[in-house]
Amino acid sequence: MKKKLLIIGLVLLTATVLVAQPATEKKYATLQIYAALDTEEAQYYIEAFEKSTGIKVEFVRMSSGEVGARIEAEKNNPQASVWFGGSNTDHINVHAKGLLMPYKPKTDFELAPMLHADDYGWNGFYTGAIGFVTNTEFLKKNNIEAPQSWADLLKPEFHGQIEMAYPYTSGTGYTAWATIIQDKGLEKALDWWELLDKNIHQYTASGTACIARAGLGECAVGIAFSHDIIAKGVGMGYPLVMSFPSEGTGFEVGGVSMIKGARQVEEAQIFIDWCFSEEAQNLFKKYSRLPVNPKATVAEGAIKLSDINLIDYDAVQMGQRKDEFVTAWRDRIGK
Amino acid sequence: MKQHSKSRIQQINEIKKLIREPFLFISILVIFYLLIVFVIFPIFQVFKTSFMVDGHFTLKNYRDVLRQSYYIRPLFNSILLGVLVATIGTFVGFVFAYAITRTPMRGKGIFRLIATFPMVSPPFVVALACILLFGRAGIFAGLLGNIYGLTGLTIVETIAYAPTAFLALIGVLQAIDPSLEEAAMDCGASRGKVFSTIILPLALPGIVSAWLLVFIQSLADFGTPMILSGNYQVLSVQAYLQITGMFDLARGSTLAILLLLPTVIAFYLQKYLLSKKSYVTVTGKPTSATIKNLEWYIKYPVYAMCLIFAFIVLLFYGMVVWGSFQKLWGVDSTLTLRNYVQMWKIGKKYIKDSLLLSFIVTPITGVLGMFIAYLISRKQFVGRNLMEFSSMLTFAVPGTVVGIGYILAFNNPSFFMPVTLTGTSIIIIALLIFRNLPVGIRNGVAAIEQIDPSIEEASIDLGADSGVTFRKVTLPMITPAFFSGLANCFVRSMTAISAIIFVVSGRWNFITVAVLGFVDNSQYAQAAAMSLLLISIVLLALGVIQIITNRLGKGMQSFSIIEQ
Repeated sequence: MKKKLLIIGLVLLTATVLVAQPATEKKYATLQIYAALDTEEAQYYIEAFEKSTGIKVEFVRMSSGEVGARIEAEKNNPQASVWFGGSNTDHINVHAKGLLMPYKPKTDFELAPMLHADDYGWNGFYTGAIGFVTNTEFLKKNNIEAPQSWADLLKPEFHGQIEMAYPYTSGTGYTAWATIIQDKGLEKALDWWELLDKNIHQYTASGTACIARAGLGECAVGIAFSHDIIAKGVGMGYPLVMSFPSEGTGFEVGGVSMIKGARQVEEAQIFIDWCFSEEAQNLFKKYSRLPVNPKATVAEGAIKLSDINLIDYDAVQMGQRKDEFVTAWRDRIGK
Repeated sequence: MKQHSKSRIQQINEIKKLIREPFLFISILVIFYLLIVFVIFPIFQVFKTSFMVDGHFTLKNYRDVLRQSYYIRPLFNSILLGVLVATIGTFVGFVFAYAITRTPMRGKGIFRLIATFPMVSPPFVVALACILLFGRAGIFAGLLGNIYGLTGLTIVETIAYAPTAFLALIGVLQAIDPSLEEAAMDCGASRGKVFSTIILPLALPGIVSAWLLVFIQSLADFGTPMILSGNYQVLSVQAYLQITGMFDLARGSTLAILLLLPTVIAFYLQKYLLSKKSYVTVTGKPTSATIKNLEWYIKYPVYAMCLIFAFIVLLFYGMVVWGSFQKLWGVDSTLTLRNYVQMWKIGKKYIKDSLLLSFIVTPITGVLGMFIAYLISRKQFVGRNLMEFSSMLTFAVPGTVVGIGYILAFNNPSFFMPVTLTGTSIIIIALLIFRNLPVGIRNGVAAIEQIDPSIEEASIDLGADSGVTFRKVTLPMITPAFFSGLANCFVRSMTAISAIIFVVSGRWNFITVAVLGFVDNSQYAQAAAMSLLLISIVLLALGVIQIITNRLGKGMQSFSIIEQ
């Protein structure tokens, strides 16, 4: 009998708690985000956002390619509202398929035209350039210099020593490939890459993997974004040096966008606005990303885009024709 | 399973019995519904997607895939790797099984434990250890040349899957009555002759079956090649990259089907071989081999090989422990606990989710598996073979294929499943239950078939219905097998990666996915710390279940849970 009373009591208690819940519920829904940043870094920004706005966030970390695949697969029933991070080429590619929802963020500065889609389908909240990262012990041992140009990468001393991401699995890999296309035109770029391929040790799935691998001596040279090179290589204490190709290099604009059919529209807008705030942009220091808000402070050692030779990178064309360029690469290189 | 020859009248009686038992009837319907939704439907979706372009039926995807070297080479790579791993793994497994069943080797218990240990960790932990040992920044840097590729994959998968062969073969060797060998020896046959004319022919179906099991596991392995494949591309990873990197569901599904075919063929070949029991000597209970003066030239090479393999296993796992305390792997070897702190900070949620979901999945899988085992081995009903086939199917289908099938099947409401499951915990729970169900069923069938059906028949004749009979008669007798199924399911849930990686979400994530993320960033020390935590949790759970089993199994034969 006592047992029965206890059970009834428990049931009633649970029911009360369940019924009482809505009254104490916060005004905002929980924001669902797909983050194409590393878990640790994404968590760092998102925790700051939660603290600053009181909006709860749940996120999944994926490569930007994966995010695109998920958004497309889920287009009839989107699971997330915001796509946070990843090269704008990938955002452009997905936007071209009509899967993103334009939103012009409220900023206290003018967002340069290269930092957003014409209709604000995506918005760029940081930038970074493609660079080379080289193991200094390897250089010392072989008494050579770090590569200073794309042409240097073809030198025999780097035979089987270069690593980078597949252009079809990573925004980093694709930006490097797109840079060469834009510099030489597709046909010549393919010929050139066949030569480079002889010096490639292996391609990796993720864009940043080659940095620590160069640091560990698993390979000698990596091709990656400058901010990643600093945050995950030089800054971690690996024996690495960063250099940039003298012919000019490509760069990425890190994108944030709202997914079409987003369920938490208001929360998503607040999040995108927050990404451009001075508070958020100051956080990029920790991971050496270059902020787009002029008021934000830049990390020590980070290379500003104005310091290096950039090509006139056409992110829109490279984004829209990504499938074509990637297929051309795979057909020729065969990997 | 048991084919009783029976008359028409008996058959009619059976149908009558079924109708008289609505509980049984309804449960059969429910199980069929679940199997269709969570096993058949997702795999069907993969097939369908591979034959579709813009909503039309076409063979274009297959033409594309078969024409391009970069699609077709991974298929051959996967098969070559599978053949190598299966061959070496089966050899290692056989040597171990032989040493344990046929030699007076000392410390058999320890060897047994070491030989089965890799089963409680995800295979990619071995891959991680391989990098720590033989990578360019490793302890034995350069010793094996470039480990990113076929060499590394073969070593790692052999360590990870030789235990499968070992467990399959120890059963086979135990089933061969040693008195046969003794008789041959007494008649003057040499050791070599006994081996080649008695042991080998008798064990051959078992050896081939072990070979096929390892082959399937290697083909389906995802975590190891994800970390170690270098330029040696394999199919499971390529199918994943095709979908996640190229947004290409159609060709990703096509690659998945290419991966599916050899595994399913191997799986049913293996089942067919096992069903041919005629090879095994059934002369009462297997007696432990009486070992009389085994020649030194057999003994010592066998011992040496066991020692070497045991040493390699210990070396690999030891390396993970050592690596987890290093400040920055390869650069700063100061010992520190920082990795554990960092791992905990980032990994808390992953660990919590993995544990919670595995705890939900394990009992459901155990009960459902046992119940299906009971149905297919004790009950006659229409579609029984179909039930057996479909419930065993997920065991043969590589995780990558299942994962792709789940995202294709449950992203949108459908006829079978009126609500969307993507992003929920349900999709992960369902995936784990139906991935692990075959193990539970196999355990259950084996246990139930040891029970004489006449005991149950007596109960039914005395007026109890199927439910009561199952609860009061069958269940108590199969309890040890049930708990061993639980242990197995928990281990498999906690270490799952290949299918899970497709269905994790912001709300629900998995510890194995987190480890892979660390490895991706070359944060080997943190990856090692998290792997160790994972292994510790699994060992702890195994220990608890073993204690429970021993308590319940008092008076029954002693029972080791890992080995079922």
